[in-house]
Amino acid sequence: MAVCTVYTVQPLNTSCSISTPTKTHLGFNQKQVFFFNNYSSKNTNNSRFRGNKITCSAGDTIVIGLAADSGCGKSTFMRRLTSVFGGAASPPKGGNPDSNTLISDTTTVICLDDYHSLDRTGRKEKGVTALDPRANDFDLMYQQVKALKDGVAVEKPIYNHVSGLLDPPELIKPPKILVIEGLHPMYDQRVRDLLDFSIYLDISNEVKFAWKIQRDMAERGHSLESIKASIEARKPDFDAYIDPQKQYADAVIEVLPTRLIPDDNEGKVLRVKLIMKEGVKYFNPVYLFDEGSTVSWIPCGRKLTCSYPGIKFAYGPDTYFGHEVSVLEMDGQFDRLDELIYVESHLSNISTKFYGEITQQMLKHADFPGSNNGTGLFQTIVGLKIRDLFEQIAASKASAPLEATKA
Amino acid sequence: YLMPVRAAPEGLSEKIDASIKSAQESCADDPASGECVAAWDEVEELSAASSHARDKAKDSDPLETYCKDNPETDECRTYE
Repeated sequence: MAVCTVYTVQPLNTSCSISTPTKTHLGFNQKQVFFFNNYSSKNTNNSRFRGNKITCSAGDTIVIGLAADSGCGKSTFMRRLTSVFGGAASPPKGGNPDSNTLISDTTTVICLDDYHSLDRTGRKEKGVTALDPRANDFDLMYQQVKALKDGVAVEKPIYNHVSGLLDPPELIKPPKILVIEGLHPMYDQRVRDLLDFSIYLDISNEVKFAWKIQRDMAERGHSLESIKASIEARKPDFDAYIDPQKQYADAVIEVLPTRLIPDDNEGKVLRVKLIMKEGVKYFNPVYLFDEGSTVSWIPCGRKLTCSYPGIKFAYGPDTYFGHEVSVLEMDGQFDRLDELIYVESHLSNISTKFYGEITQQMLKHADFPGSNNGTGLFQTIVGLKIRDLFEQIAASKASAPLEATKA
Repeated sequence: YLMPVRAAPEGLSEKIDASIKSAQESCADDPASGECVAAWDEVEELSAASSHARDKAKDSDPLETYCKDNPETDECRTYE
């Protein structure tokens, strides 16, 4: 009988003995690494091994999918998420300078553009966009995500966004948390079934247009017409292949124009909705005041300084693509970020480890886009929820190691 | 007709300019053709790459960049 300690719950931020001083672990694969870990930390316990071989299957990697269109703040979300887990994320050291991967102690973020089957020239010849499934290799995506989930390192291609070519592959080792971000994380059913949690960033057309103007107007050659034309041209493919994925997401962050200012189209003041699916294992939706009730709340007053146009929260149950969901909405923006603690103290089920953790996380990244409105707040909440999910999965695997190893 | 070329990120804004022009050309005859849509998709990809490059450049603090290479100098030494 082999009991596998792979599933031992470890505090998130402690690294295993492998990732410390010497770099000699580089040549080992994940299974040997765990052998190493057991051996040094628990003394020898031979009943854990069958001869010299580890009999347990690894695969304690949890996989998170993040879907959004380009230019919709995926990278800001990723920076907030990795920050919740501690440590900064950086590109793989010494590799391709145009690599899209980000690695931190616990988290590896891979960009699904790396699974393009057609490079830029190929897409132009065939007349398809990157949004089109025909431009993507879902078989390879499935195989490699599955392998990483099972604890096997893979050689993943790199799509170079500057040159538009597929570069030689890079080695990706199985992390504790694997995030796959891009246009199609939930498109292919096989890949979708591998995900432990999925998020969709849903940016309304008005806001998308405003954001792209902010992003591109200073760029040479761009004009209002070219930005509009680019959005319009990509829209049919976006509606056909990207947008439908939101029905599968466990959490959707919807970004809409504000209702506090009539006819606002600057995209600076936003109304942001966090739509959380009910009944997802290990995921308890956040609520305001009273779970399941419908609440509208204006926190501005004696305790919270708000200038025009103010802040308005809403919470309530709803249905989304036939699923029961809870929706938390914030319209408006904060003037003083430290007063966010007042809002935080009225939210429940936020999976924080100490009072004020959301506020602390937001203050840490006050310079990121969205830090004074609902996008930053809800991204941080989803980050905490993912940490909670990770810890619950690790704990449940630890409590049932026998069943896991008998298979 | 624009052929993609290997270029450093510094050349990006020229490439965006060129790709917008070629997109406008290829959309002149048929605005719904695959060719036109793919051309605008290329514009979007380059604009996103350029904005990421700009963000990266903005993040870098001159003192921190210097201290990465020269941690022993007076202005960089920190003791915990």
